[in-house]
Amino acid sequence: MEFNAIQILLVGVWAFIVGIDQYNLLESLYQPIVTGAVVGAILGDLNTGLVVGGTYQLMTIGNMPVGGAQPPNAIIGGIMATVFAIGSGLDTTAAVGLAVPFALFGQYMVTLVFTVMSPLMSSADKMAEKGDVKGIVRLNYLAMGALGLLFAVVCIGGLIGGTALGTTLQTISDKYGWIMDGLGAAGGMMRFVGFAILLRIMLSNELWGIYFAGFALATIIGYIPELSGSALLLVAFVGIAIALNDFQTRVAIRQNAGNGNGGDEDGI
Amino acid sequence: MASNATQYNNLTPAQPLDKKTLNKMVWRSLNLQGSFNYERMQAGGWLYGILPGLEKIHGDNEEDLKTSMQHNLEFFNTHPFLVTFVMGIVLSLEQQKADIPTIRAVRVAAMGPLGGIGDAIFWFTLVPITAGITSNMAINGSLAGPILFLLIFNVVQFAVRFWLMNWSYKLGSKAIELLTANAKEFTRAASLLGVFVVGALTSNYGGTTVKLQFENGESPIIIQNILDGILPKLIPLTITLGLFFLIKKKGWTPVACIGLLLVVGLLGALIGLF
Repeated sequence: MEFNAIQILLVGVWAFIVGIDQYNLLESLYQPIVTGAVVGAILGDLNTGLVVGGTYQLMTIGNMPVGGAQPPNAIIGGIMATVFAIGSGLDTTAAVGLAVPFALFGQYMVTLVFTVMSPLMSSADKMAEKGDVKGIVRLNYLAMGALGLLFAVVCIGGLIGGTALGTTLQTISDKYGWIMDGLGAAGGMMRFVGFAILLRIMLSNELWGIYFAGFALATIIGYIPELSGSALLLVAFVGIAIALNDFQTRVAIRQNAGNGNGGDEDGI
Repeated sequence: MASNATQYNNLTPAQPLDKKTLNKMVWRSLNLQGSFNYERMQAGGWLYGILPGLEKIHGDNEEDLKTSMQHNLEFFNTHPFLVTFVMGIVLSLEQQKADIPTIRAVRVAAMGPLGGIGDAIFWFTLVPITAGITSNMAINGSLAGPILFLLIFNVVQFAVRFWLMNWSYKLGSKAIELLTANAKEFTRAASLLGVFVVGALTSNYGGTTVKLQFENGESPIIIQNILDGILPKLIPLTITLGLFFLIKKKGWTPVACIGLLLVVGLLGALIGLF
């Protein structure tokens, strides 16, 4: 089935919106159950859209055994699976399979934007230094727009180029995937820059032990699979106990000093 | 690079934020991850979200607004649906012109634990249940499926966002009165908790591992296993401390650190390290 220019444009607009929505806005428009229906309606086959979206949604929440690879980006996966199901009359599983290369590229776009935005945070610092409120707002909208635009491009490419483009994208991924792996690995390490900056400001010499204690406790809890979700909450409980104890002790010392019972300075 | 100021110039508490401003920030909180990035994660979106409040609070002192904007651009990451809880508390501290180390420490301590709670509520409970029911409606060709899904999910989401913002702002305003009497001790205790949480984040958010292994007949030597034998999460800890050293002692900028990590990441991927 050939799609007309208006349909292609509308799917592009929807991809733009959900590209942003996957991390912002309502954070629910992007779910396959919604996206399947919308793309189905645009392409003139609402019923197939609903079926693909619903089936794909069940796959993503793990209620449905599914063979083959799961697309790395469920948003583009959902859009392109619906497109292929309607365009080529495939069943959902086959359509999801054909969507994989596009979903992979969608994930690359996410990696790219998150990487590029990292050094740009230094520009944000400069804006803050100048009190440039509008600049901060603009930076956020710009980053959101960039991600949406890249998603729109991948999806419009998919509608025009079809499965042939998918094969090409797969070849490119196989050849240059290491670049994205590298960016992903670097991305995983960049948060340590954020931590290091926090530590530079927060960490006085007397608090080194506390830093390692927090690290040790989180590592221990992290190795207990049942607690992986609540690890940081448990860490916070212990941290609050230590902090509260420190607070009460020091207040008591100061008050005693004030009463003339102790010779110390005020406990700091 | 963040400012080193520890106090605002104008220490007179600002007018309490009105409901309209609080609600405006709830709407902005939707775009918490607008400029999400690998280095500071949600920091840009966090500042964007609380700016309406900061502008009101520090409206009479431009230097204080700049100072506040700078320290609110430091690393930030929490559960996107629960962020208004952190917003309310931090804004109440900003309004009372608390010490900056205190605000920073409370922010860091509050953002960490919310991740697990939010995942449990939204991704492991609300979405599977709602989507499970409505997906079957959709598969049977009913348009009510997606509509009902969006409706339920967003009613819960907005109820949580609005309620948390108002509740935690009040909570923070009440707590501050008790704590100003012991401000010095409170700042120290909050910093202690903050550093403890950053230590925990280093381990909890640190997922960097190496794939390197050497052939050794039946049992190849896997480098990561050896490292885990010395100390689990050794790589995240070493990188964090290394970057801390470069920034604090060698005066490296964050951008230089990011550049270094990009080179390490790409070279590492090329030789199969990652």
